[in-house]
Amino acid sequence: MAKAFRASAGIMLAPAVTLIGVFVLLPMLLTVWLSFQDWSTQTPFSDASFVGLGNFHEIFSPTSVGRDFKTALLNTTIYTALSVVLILPLSVVFGLLVYQREIAGGTALRTVLFSTYMVPMIAVALVWSKLYSPSEGPLNQLLGLAGIGPQPWLSSPRSALVSIVFLNVWQQVGYFTVLAIAGLTQIPGSLYEAATLDGANGREQFRFITLPLLRRTLLFSAVIAIINAVQVFEPVALITQGGPVGSTNVLTYHIRRVGIERAQGGLGSAMAVMLMLSLIVCVSALFAFANRKDSE
Amino acid sequence: MSLAWISKLGFAAGLIALPATGWAQSVNISYLTHWSPETVALLEAAAKDFSKEHPDVAVTVRAVPFGDLLTTLRSQGGSSDGPTIGGIYDLWLPELAKDKLVAPAPDAVAAEVKSAWPAGVVSAASVGGTLYGIPNEIDVYALNYNKELFKEAGIAAPPKTWAELKDTAAKLTDKARGQQGFGMINSWAAGVVHPFASLLVSNGGNLVKDGKPALDSSQASETFALYEDLIKSGASNPAMATADANTTGPFLDNFVSGKTGMIIMANWWESALKTGMGDKFANIATAPIPVGPSGDKPHSISYSWMTVVNAKAGEAEQKAAWEFLAWLNSLKSGKNGASAMSDILMSMGILPSRTSDIEAHKDKLGSEFLSGYVSVLADARPFPVVLGGQEFSESLQQTLEALQYGQVSAKDAQTNAQADATSILERAAK
Repeated sequence: MAKAFRASAGIMLAPAVTLIGVFVLLPMLLTVWLSFQDWSTQTPFSDASFVGLGNFHEIFSPTSVGRDFKTALLNTTIYTALSVVLILPLSVVFGLLVYQREIAGGTALRTVLFSTYMVPMIAVALVWSKLYSPSEGPLNQLLGLAGIGPQPWLSSPRSALVSIVFLNVWQQVGYFTVLAIAGLTQIPGSLYEAATLDGANGREQFRFITLPLLRRTLLFSAVIAIINAVQVFEPVALITQGGPVGSTNVLTYHIRRVGIERAQGGLGSAMAVMLMLSLIVCVSALFAFANRKDSE
Repeated sequence: MSLAWISKLGFAAGLIALPATGWAQSVNISYLTHWSPETVALLEAAAKDFSKEHPDVAVTVRAVPFGDLLTTLRSQGGSSDGPTIGGIYDLWLPELAKDKLVAPAPDAVAAEVKSAWPAGVVSAASVGGTLYGIPNEIDVYALNYNKELFKEAGIAAPPKTWAELKDTAAKLTDKARGQQGFGMINSWAAGVVHPFASLLVSNGGNLVKDGKPALDSSQASETFALYEDLIKSGASNPAMATADANTTGPFLDNFVSGKTGMIIMANWWESALKTGMGDKFANIATAPIPVGPSGDKPHSISYSWMTVVNAKAGEAEQKAAWEFLAWLNSLKSGKNGASAMSDILMSMGILPSRTSDIEAHKDKLGSEFLSGYVSVLADARPFPVVLGGQEFSESLQQTLEALQYGQVSAKDAQTNAQADATSILERAAK
C-alpha cells in the first residue's frame, strides 16, 4: 500500500520536478561549472578549459576586473539595502492609511498606489530620466521654487545611485502596500477592541498588535524586495549605463557587460555565482533572524 | 463556362500561384543597425529598390540603441536566425572575427573594396589581412564651438593651443548662468575616450604604440593634467557631461541650449545638433583640435564603421547579404554617382569612406560645419583596433570619469590607466 502510494506520488511529482530540474537546477549547476572554466560565450561548452578558482581570484584581484566587480557588488548592496529600508516602512504606512475603511476614496487611493507597479519600466525610465534632467527637469524647477539650487541627480556619482533607488521605490511601493494590506486583513479586529478597552492608545496598538502580527507579511515582503532589488537592470541599462564613474554599475548590468558584451563567460559566471551566494546568505540570515524572534 | 466555374478556376490558379509568390522572395535577410527611425526609413527605401532588381531577396531592417548593439550582435549573431547583416564599429571587429561570428568577404567583394576605399579604412575592416566587412562611414573628431558665446565673451577665434584652450574656456565660463567653457562627456565609453585621445595625439602621444599601451608617456601625463586643470578651474563641469544609452542626454542638451562654449565631438552629431538647435545651428563652427605643448600640429582620432555578414547564416542568406551590401555601397545605387549608403550617411552628416562617394558629395562636405572635419581627416590617427580594445576603452573611460569628478589626481589617473590597459591587453592577447 505504502509502495503504491509512493509510486503514485512520484508519478504526480515527476512533471514538476522535471521542469524545475531542467529549467532551474540545470542552468544553476551549469553556471557554477562554468565559473571554474575559461570560456567564451561565443564558443561551445566543449571549448571551455578548467581554471580552478582562477575566475574567482580574478574578480577579487586589484586589477580593473576586480575593481569593477567589487564596485558593482557594493553598488548592488547599497541599492538593495536602501530599497528595502525605504519600501517596507512606506508600504506599512500606506497600508495603514488605505486600510482605514472609513476614509473616503480609499479604494481609489489603493488603485493609484498599485498602478505604478503596472507601468512598464521603459516608460518609467523615460519619464524619470526627464524628471531628473539637471537643467530643464521638473524636479529641479520645483526645488528652485522652494529656493533650493539645482541638484545633479543622475549626473553625479554621489547622487546617481540614490536617484535610481527613488525611482525603484516609487514603482514598487504600491505592490508592497497591497501585501501589507493583505497582512492587515489577517489581524482580528477583536484584538484592537480588547486593547481599546484596556486603554491602549493607537501608537501602543500599532507597536504591540499590528507590527508583531505583520511580521510574517513583512518577512515575505523583505525577501521579495531583496530579490527584486538585486535583479535591478532596466533603469541602469536604459538611463545611466552604469555611470557616472561606475556609480550605478550594479551586478546584473556588469555581468551582462562582461559575459555577453565581452564574451567572457567564465568570469561572468563567477560573478553570477557570487551574486547567487550573496543572495542565499542574505535571505537565509533573514529567515534565521525571523525564526529566532518566533522562538523568543 | 459558367461564372461559378470561372471563379473556381481563378481560385485554383491563385492557389497554384501562391507558392510561386513565396518562392519569388525565398531569401529573407535582416539588417541590424543603431540608426534613428528616420535613417532606418531611408535604408528600408534602399532595400525596396534592391528588391525590385532582386525579387527573390527580402531585406528587413531592425534598429537597437547604440548601447545594445554589440550585445545584440553577440547574443543573436551566433545563430542562423540572428541578424544576417550588422553595422559594427571597427574596434569590435577583432573579437567578433576571433569568435567566428562574422564571415570573410567573398573575393569579388574584397577586390572591389580594396580598389575603391582608402587603404587605412580597408585595414580597419580587416583582421590578419582578411577583409570582413564593407566599410561605410568614417568619423573624425574636431573642436565644435558656439560663435554666439564667443562673440559675447569677446573672443575672436577658436583656440589653437592648449594654453589658448584653457584661457578661452575660462572666459566662456559663467557659473551664474550655468555656462561652462569646455564640455566633457561621461557615461559613454567612446564619448569619454575619443576626445581625450584626440587631445593626446595632438600633443604627440598615443594610446597604444606597437600593440602596447602608451599612457605612461610624458605627452599622456600632460593630457591628464589638462583635464585636471579644466575641472579644477571650473571651466568644465562634469555634472553637465552625462550621456545616455542613445549617445544623447545632458552633454548634448547643454551644447544645444548654449550652456557649453566648446566641445570635442565627431562629425556624426551634425543631425542631432540640427534637430536640437534649428536655425541656431548656424552658430556652430568647427575647428581643428588645439595643439598641446609637446605636439607638432593638430591631429585627431578617427574610426570607421562597416557592415559585416553573420558567419552562422545560411549559405543563400550570406550570398544575398553580400549582394545587397555590394549593391548598397556601389555607384549605381545612389544619386549622382554616389552610393545609396553614402546618401543615407550624408543625411546624418556622416562622412562616407568610399573615395568616389567623397567626390560625389563634395558640395555638401564643403558646408561650414563638415568642411572643418574634412580638413582634419588627412592628419587624423585611427583609434587603435586591438584585441580587448572595447574593454580597454571602457577601463580608460572609468579612469577619466574618476578624474572628471575629482576622485583621483591626474598623476594617479595616469598610473591606473596604464596599469589597467597593460593587464587588459595582455589578457586579451593570450
